[in-house]
Amino acid sequence: MDTQGHISTEFNEALTAVKDNTVAIGILAQKNVENAFAGLMQRDVSLCNQVIADDEEVDQLEMQIDNDSLQVMAKYRPFASDLRLVIASMKITHNLERVSDHAVSIAKRARKILKGEEIDEISFLEPSYKHAMIMLNTALSSYVESSTEKALTVLTMDEKLNEYHKKATKAYTKKLEDPCDNHKTYLNLVFINRWIERVGDLSTNIAEDVIFMESAQDVRHGGELED
Amino acid sequence: MNSKLIQLEDLGFSYDLGKTETIKGVTLDIPANQVTAFIGPSGCGKSTLLRCLNRMNDLIDTAKITRGTIKILGQDIHASDVDSIELRKHVGMVFQKYNPFPKSIYDNVAYGLRIQGEKNKSTLDEAVERSLRGSALWDEVKDRLKTSALGLSGGQQQRLCIARTIAVQPKVILMDEPCSALDPIATAKVEELITELRKEYTIVIVTHSMQQASRISDRTAFFYLGEVVEYNTTETIFQNPSQQQTEDYISGRFG
Repeated sequence: MDTQGHISTEFNEALTAVKDNTVAIGILAQKNVENAFAGLMQRDVSLCNQVIADDEEVDQLEMQIDNDSLQVMAKYRPFASDLRLVIASMKITHNLERVSDHAVSIAKRARKILKGEEIDEISFLEPSYKHAMIMLNTALSSYVESSTEKALTVLTMDEKLNEYHKKATKAYTKKLEDPCDNHKTYLNLVFINRWIERVGDLSTNIAEDVIFMESAQDVRHGGELED
Repeated sequence: MNSKLIQLEDLGFSYDLGKTETIKGVTLDIPANQVTAFIGPSGCGKSTLLRCLNRMNDLIDTAKITRGTIKILGQDIHASDVDSIELRKHVGMVFQKYNPFPKSIYDNVAYGLRIQGEKNKSTLDEAVERSLRGSALWDEVKDRLKTSALGLSGGQQQRLCIARTIAVQPKVILMDEPCSALDPIATAKVEELITELRKEYTIVIVTHSMQQASRISDRTAFFYLGEVVEYNTTETIFQNPSQQQTEDYISGRFG
């Protein structure tokens, strides 16, 4: 979505700021999920702590984007693609703030897990995580590049993520049914697996917002993109 | 609802006896009981086209319809048996600068009916009250109908001009930037009035305010260099126009 070309250079700058900050919050949220998972896998508590601290920046940026967007709407009364850019950016920002919240939840559970002994089954999370991160990355790229094509790709990835999520959940549930001393850890892994799946869901939301931004079409809840 | 109250077919218009066309082959249908907005940069022909609809341009010696037709309720308004004065009874007009006559409020509203020969006082009283109520002005002026219209505020004067227009019960009301000289409160009142008037009249409005067009109109036509670039529902024009030129204009990228 082109933020340039308006007669008002201030309007160009205001729209560009909204877009740039949305990209920035995307990078921060993505990094927080990566650090949370790395903290868990590498048994690095300091990375987990960093995620919890860095979430504050995401929260602040969310409020700034909301405020800037409000200013753009009040001051410049945008229409058509400009209006869709502002609305979509606000919604995407909200989704990214929630991604970062899930990163914090993962980090907090990871700290609990790291207090216990290392278990091999932690690797069951990897397929879900890798897939969710590809979804998040592709969704963010689709926003940066204004690519409906990339956004559509994200929508097709959701089913596979659900499969990975179910498979890991099943494996952990089975472990919980067995007699062992690591019940709490497996329960925490079920939660983490759930939050990873939520990151994928939120990536889908972001992709849907990008499609709306680019095509003015609402593909949420099973809507199809028309030519 | 008549979806084609006004029909323009390949309309061409020239201010210099046909040497250059200001309107270049415009075709569009304007539905009844809706507000249709004409938008576009200065000089694009939107006000000229508006004035074609009640043959106001006939008053200019060198003005000429170069091609095409304008039909209102199926009647070609340039047919030899159509009288332009008669036409303007059915197609009223409200101008950018409110222009009440230097007469009383009552006389302003009754003016059109009187020149049509209406002399019955109770008929005139009834029409004045109905029109002032219709233009949402009655409560503000009912106790001073005999005072000068020039003593009213700008917004009230513009609504008085609307009352004067609707007193003769036209089919169509043309409005040429009716709020451009008004403050935001007076503008809001006129816009509210336009929304109400649509129930009884067909309104065509020229406006430079994109917000106004998006707020009050049902359909919008974007003009550029004498041609219609895009004509669609207002929702489509302002949310997802099909033409890049329209998008550029409404989003302030034009020029």
